[in-house]
Amino acid sequence: MVSTTSTKRLSLSAWLKTITFYEILVGMKATLSHLLNYRPVTLQYPHEKRTLPDNYRGMLALLRYDDGTEKCVGCDLCEAACPSRVIRVVSAEVPGEPTKRYSKEYYMDMTRCLFCGMCVDACPVDALGMTREFEWAVYDKRQLHLNKQQLLAIGDRSFPVQEKRLELQHPNVAFFNVAFKHVPPKPD
Amino acid sequence: MTEFGLRLAISLTQIAAVMGIVVITVLILTLAERKVLGWMQDRMGPMEVGPYGILQPVADAIKLFFKEDIIPAGANKFLFTTAPILCLIPSFIGFAVIPWGPNQTFEVGGITVRPFVISDINIGILYILAFASLGAYGIILGGWSSNSKYSLLGGLRSAAQIISYELNVGLSIVGVLILGGSLSLVTITDAQAGGFWHWYLFALPAPQIFAFVIYVISAVAETNRVPFDLPEAESELVAGFFTEYSGLRFAFFFLAEYANMVLVSCVAAALFLGGWNAPYPGTIMAFIGAPSLAWIENTMWFAVKTYSLLFLFFWLRATLPRLRYDQLMRFGWKVLLPIALGNIVVTAIAVFIYQQMK
Repeated sequence: MVSTTSTKRLSLSAWLKTITFYEILVGMKATLSHLLNYRPVTLQYPHEKRTLPDNYRGMLALLRYDDGTEKCVGCDLCEAACPSRVIRVVSAEVPGEPTKRYSKEYYMDMTRCLFCGMCVDACPVDALGMTREFEWAVYDKRQLHLNKQQLLAIGDRSFPVQEKRLELQHPNVAFFNVAFKHVPPKPD
Repeated sequence: MTEFGLRLAISLTQIAAVMGIVVITVLILTLAERKVLGWMQDRMGPMEVGPYGILQPVADAIKLFFKEDIIPAGANKFLFTTAPILCLIPSFIGFAVIPWGPNQTFEVGGITVRPFVISDINIGILYILAFASLGAYGIILGGWSSNSKYSLLGGLRSAAQIISYELNVGLSIVGVLILGGSLSLVTITDAQAGGFWHWYLFALPAPQIFAFVIYVISAVAETNRVPFDLPEAESELVAGFFTEYSGLRFAFFFLAEYANMVLVSCVAAALFLGGWNAPYPGTIMAFIGAPSLAWIENTMWFAVKTYSLLFLFFWLRATLPRLRYDQLMRFGWKVLLPIALGNIVVTAIAVFIYQQMK
């Protein structure tokens, strides 16, 4: 209202603006215009949800082939790629088939995951996928320490379309097992 | 004895009605403030409890009732308990002299009842000012007895602020008192009948526009509202004088603040905006041939004026940032006080000349 340094003389218009609270009235007009043109930006979250972008990176999951076998070959590349050390893989031979390996145990500590998607990129057999789930708030953070069964269950419920298992699955011919609509369906 | 009993019953009924109206108004205000603030900031405000969040005040009240009542270690227990009550009572007691509707009477068992004012005492406005100042004790003692530096700072700020701005409230009212020639709110309101050009905001010979502006600014400061909310500045003092209060005691402070807002709005409506008088001469009800129902129209006009002023409180809160402490003091003493004093001089001279010319 009053200038702290009284050396500067106020012009007539500035003086008029001061005594009529002109600046305050301008601010009040701005707030009132927002009240009259009421267009809230709020999204009432639990009742209405934002449409997710197509490349949304949500909860991680382990995937299966269409005959129910796990895709994971236990190569540990996801563990190596992860910047947050979320993943721990215990690899083992498939019993009776010395040329094949699988992940005997597979743990993900989702409290540390930053959803960068590097593990999905690193996987040579597309055994990992990022679902569109994001509502994973829990009361006990130990519930976010997921094991292989839980990760497979997430994959089963999020990716109903499963990749066909070929007789000889080479890493370089692996197709991306994506359930997005704009990607044409895979030829059988 | 029966007459005394009847009087007591009538008075208690009136008090209960007024208290009920004020508490309901406060409940509405807590919701209205959050809603209006939200709308002005492109938000929605409370939306979860009940349709469009209209039951939010009930939920808040229940929550406050069942919260743990904490008395901090080292607090002065007696004063800590007394302070909310000291704060609450003065803010409610002022409503006794506010005229809510026309100055009419009716007889019940030989006793004259004035339904729209609890008590028309001839120093009504002085009584309100006196009790409003007492409310500062509740804040200061609450701040001091909490044994917390934030509370103490809030209480001290409140003391300085309320004393500074009480003065401006009192001086800005003097012009109206000169024009009305009375301290009774009923007499002052009656004198403003007959159209908005008779309201003391616009009335000849001395329109009290400057006094009204000073009154509104000082009232905002006196009720510790934004932009003068230094006693409870949450970015500096956590919550100011009620930092350490919780549960029902906090609710008392909260209730007192909102009741004070309603009170100063009622006083402003009664002194400057013609109280329950409509902005046109007479009433529509009397015009269409139902003068016995005119009181509905008049009380509605009083409510409209009070709620408009309360909306102004919210509007200012949505718009303005908090003042710095030295700005607050300088503005009160160096700007508002000279204008209020000048207003008294001008009003007195104008009224004197007006009376000489008649």
